[in-house]
Amino acid sequence: MDTQTAKKTLNNPRHWSRHLLSTVLMLWLALHHTATAQVAEGEVRYLVTHNWVKKLAALDYISAREREKVAYMWGNRAEWKAYMRLYFSPQRSRYEESDEQAEAEMVGYAGRREPLLFYRDFEQARLFDVVKAQGRTYFIEDSLQCPQWKVLNDVKEVAGYVCMNASWEDPIKGHRIEVWFALDLPTPAGPEDLCGLPGLILEANYNDGAMVIAADQINLRSLGDALNLPKIKAKGKRVSWEEYRELQRKYIAEQRKAENAWFWGIRY
Amino acid sequence: MYFLLLRVKSARTLSALFTLFASGAVVLTAQTPSRITLKGTVLTDSVGEPAAMATVMLLHPTDSTLLAFTRCDERGAFVFRNVRNAVYLLKVSYVGYLPYQQRLLPAESESTDLGMLVLKPIQRALMEVVVRTAKAPLYIRGDTIEYDATTFKVPPGSTVEDLLRRLPGIEVDDAGNIRAQGREVRRIYVNGKTFFGSDPKLATKNLGAETIAKVQVFDEKSEAARLMGVEDGKQERAMNLELKEEYKKGAFGKATLAGGTDDRWASRGSYNRFDEHHQFSLIGYGNNINETGVNWEDYSEFKGQNTFQDLSGEDFGFGGMLYGTYFSTAESGLLNFFDGRGFTRNGGGGINYNFDNKKTKANASYIYNQTHLDLDEFARRDNFLSTGVFSNTDTMHLDEFRGNHRLDGRMERNFDSLNVLIVKGSLSLSHSEKQEGRQQRFFDSDAPFSLINRISTENSAKQQAWTLSSSAVFRHRFRKPGRAFALSTGYSQQVVEQRERFFSQNQLFMPTERLEQFRTRNLNNANSWRLKSSALYSEPLSQHWFWQTFANARYSDNATNRQVRAPDQGDLRVDSLSVFYNFTEQFYRLGSSLRYVVEGFNASVGLAKQQLALNGRFAQDRNLPPLAPPIRRSFNDFIPYAAVELEPMEDLYFDLEYTYVVTPPSFSNLQPVPVFSNPAFQHIGNPELGPERAHHLQFSAYYWDDASFASMGFQLSADGYESQITFNQRVERSDSLGILTITRPENVTGGHRVSSYSWGNVPIVKNRLSLSFNGDASRRLAPAFVNDVRNDTDDRYWHLSTSLSLTLGSKFIFSASGSLGFNNVTYSIRSDLNQRIRDHSANASIKWEFLAKTFLESNFNYRLFRNPAFDFRQEVPIINVSVRRLFGPKNRMEVRLAAFDLLNRRLAVNQRGTQNFVTTSISPTLARYFMLSMSYNFRGQADKVTKNDGGIIIY
Repeated sequence: MDTQTAKKTLNNPRHWSRHLLSTVLMLWLALHHTATAQVAEGEVRYLVTHNWVKKLAALDYISAREREKVAYMWGNRAEWKAYMRLYFSPQRSRYEESDEQAEAEMVGYAGRREPLLFYRDFEQARLFDVVKAQGRTYFIEDSLQCPQWKVLNDVKEVAGYVCMNASWEDPIKGHRIEVWFALDLPTPAGPEDLCGLPGLILEANYNDGAMVIAADQINLRSLGDALNLPKIKAKGKRVSWEEYRELQRKYIAEQRKAENAWFWGIRY
Repeated sequence: MYFLLLRVKSARTLSALFTLFASGAVVLTAQTPSRITLKGTVLTDSVGEPAAMATVMLLHPTDSTLLAFTRCDERGAFVFRNVRNAVYLLKVSYVGYLPYQQRLLPAESESTDLGMLVLKPIQRALMEVVVRTAKAPLYIRGDTIEYDATTFKVPPGSTVEDLLRRLPGIEVDDAGNIRAQGREVRRIYVNGKTFFGSDPKLATKNLGAETIAKVQVFDEKSEAARLMGVEDGKQERAMNLELKEEYKKGAFGKATLAGGTDDRWASRGSYNRFDEHHQFSLIGYGNNINETGVNWEDYSEFKGQNTFQDLSGEDFGFGGMLYGTYFSTAESGLLNFFDGRGFTRNGGGGINYNFDNKKTKANASYIYNQTHLDLDEFARRDNFLSTGVFSNTDTMHLDEFRGNHRLDGRMERNFDSLNVLIVKGSLSLSHSEKQEGRQQRFFDSDAPFSLINRISTENSAKQQAWTLSSSAVFRHRFRKPGRAFALSTGYSQQVVEQRERFFSQNQLFMPTERLEQFRTRNLNNANSWRLKSSALYSEPLSQHWFWQTFANARYSDNATNRQVRAPDQGDLRVDSLSVFYNFTEQFYRLGSSLRYVVEGFNASVGLAKQQLALNGRFAQDRNLPPLAPPIRRSFNDFIPYAAVELEPMEDLYFDLEYTYVVTPPSFSNLQPVPVFSNPAFQHIGNPELGPERAHHLQFSAYYWDDASFASMGFQLSADGYESQITFNQRVERSDSLGILTITRPENVTGGHRVSSYSWGNVPIVKNRLSLSFNGDASRRLAPAFVNDVRNDTDDRYWHLSTSLSLTLGSKFIFSASGSLGFNNVTYSIRSDLNQRIRDHSANASIKWEFLAKTFLESNFNYRLFRNPAFDFRQEVPIINVSVRRLFGPKNRMEVRLAAFDLLNRRLAVNQRGTQNFVTTSISPTLARYFMLSMSYNFRGQADKVTKNDGGIIIY
């Protein structure tokens, strides 16, 4: 695919809605404080469950034979858990790794952490991400990007909040993502790079359980400085959101050709 | 009022609108506004209770894409200002109410008031019981509400009726009549279809509850209305039971039969069946082509989920609880392992069962494997003394049978997230028989061609043994992260019964000719058992500091009875060679360590006190008085420990570990009666033998580059001996034996051993060309006394190999590799006899799909063995070629024609230099043959060449 077509895919508004009408948003935000009784500011601890056998099963380019074999040998011991933390308000959100260790066996060991940040400023309609991909750290700064959600009808409780579901298909990674957002927490924030729903996203299920991000503790409180853009010590390359998407697309295409799983090299 | 609008440039939105225009369903006149204001009020009932803060969304009418959203104010009012005038799906959601949906057509005026939108409540019972208590999602399809019936637990064997009684909002009376949300259910569907006519009870009384995935309750037109096609306005309550999708289950298998020249044959087969919780497999093989077991792929399919096991460690120590995933070696007897010498006939098979649900993992298996080895070996051994050199040739024929039954079981039970119990047990029964004939000629090398003597031996042995081993590990975690306790216990026992017959004939030529014969009949019995237990407690002191302490206790008992009789002398016991000995070993260790943990840096220091007590007694036979006073030895040591795990940057790891190792001597090395099968080489134990003591250091480094996929690693292991157990020699000329060598284990100070290994893989052209290398280097400085003269053998070894692999698409792979091996051995007492042993090789291989589904695979390997000290040079060139073709649906059939060792040059060569001797041996093994094989694989064979199937497959 040449760059032109690639850009077209990236700009395709079916998948991501770009350039939120910031004036409208600001109006909403300004009125928000007076109109709402709920506090929509606080922090969420998400438990992320990775299942690498299901991640592999979702790759259509790996032979069925190989996927079956991996599931046969590893299906019941393929999970890995980690905690993530989201600080949110209707205006901003900050998502990063938690200090807590979700794998009990790993308590007492501390590996090197990779730089990671998903920062959203809904007021300014900006995003600032720090992500490691293919061994390199990228600083992504751009206007806000949120998926184009399809809103569904189902009702479920997550961490004490009644949620509705919505879904989205990522055209580059090929993910089918189903999320549950809280009707009572009015903020467009969510885990990872997910955002743009009328309520806080409390659960996200990628490819039928390949990765499940579920809120397990929600603490509503005034956050103060926690919502400011943190200082990142790591060095990295500055790219736009589109450049970063293009980088991912290229890498996934390369791995597809080599019939290797791409998710060891870039974030799922 | 406020709202949020997501700007949309959707092509599909436009095309949908265009469709609407074109179809004429909506005709927008020039007066139709392009942007409008939409408003309305959301109420929770018809009385007028407002739905304050309800979420109101505008969705794309065909695919529900979210276009804009807002929230109601305290009066339930909402407004969307300045939105595009188009077709929308308006959706209102509010906690506790069914989502409200309404299709909006393009408006004719700039401001449209949708009026009052009244929400319908979701049954309170559903919200409370299903959503809040059972945490199950409610699936809402219009007015139909479904939920996941699997979250409601009923006892096994329950019917749907029992399940329905549990479900909120549903009542079942004694007669089996069902009422849902207060109204009688008139009709029951199963997967949307009427089940056995119209009596709903037939379905609910007959179907098993475990087959149901979802229960749906909805209202439908009355039967009269449906039959007559006339709307009577009546609604009847109906229920649909969605059955679970068939459990994921299936079966697969494969079989191969091969026949070749020189009566070569091979076969193997496997069958696997599985469902969500169970895996069952059978495997079998047989051949006469030196495959003593199955390959890794077949083995891992046989073991399934149990190929690797978690949390199996039971001897806790400084390393903690030994977490991690381990390769289960239990039935590794099934895996192909052949050392390259001789000819074997092999057979075996097994049955394996795995059970796995969330709480319990269980495994049981039985395997049998046997090998019949037919081996000829020609060896030369040169022995160095401070006073001279002697050498011997050794021609051996061995005919050996080994058979092994093995039963294994393992269970891992997770009582809850904090408590785990793992119980393991295995029992094996083995039988072996061997016949060995040897002829050795001894020469005085300083006086060439002078034959000293010739020894011929005929030995046979039959052995029967059983081994039991069992263990249990219990782990408890406390709620505080990092605080944990573990306890383990294990028992093992081995009973061996062996009958041997030795015959040797020694023809002496110097100083005078004479003939000596020696014949014995031995009965050996050994019974040993061991009981052990360990405990570990770990406590987090802070976020960065952890403390752990452990205790180990072990008790071993070994009773060996060796009764040697002389058939030539009335079958009397040979007192000098018969012995009964009974040793016990008690081992206790108590240790503690402190660990500091911070991002990328983990360090531990620890200290343990250990005590080892050995008690032993000897007699000529089990019930005879002791030969010598009992041995009582006790060794007390402090064991220091330190470890650092460092990750200075991502994907770069360093590990360093130091500890002091005290290894107790083996019991057989403690008993003082000589053991030999050949009178010229005798081994005698040493009751005074102490443990081996060494400082042990281990280092490893590993690097992985995400971007290029390059990786490399390095490992180093070093031991500095304070006291090393070495086998000192006494070599004597004897008129009755020729040259007699007696080895005896003794503790010697000094010596060290260092070994290192490194590897790397560098892609040159991504996915096409890659370079890999690995190398190892080791050095061992071992002192040993020969006739009381200390000789330090310095054994240095280097090996380096590199390979280049070229992949062209999925059709062609070429690789070339080379390897150099150097082994220099120097002797402090005779530097003129230093050895320079070489083992070099070059290899090229090709895999090529040259026609559709037709593959050519070939490799050429050239190996050169050299030792200039003896003018030894042996070349072994090997060429293998195979052509195979896939047939049938899913490529299930494969036919292969293979030529193995086309040049007919295969030989096994071993060169080894240690202590004060060098041996070089050559054994014939399977050389040229041709083979035709047919395989069937239920899952189909991959229609491409793959790098990782490891070498050439012969059948």
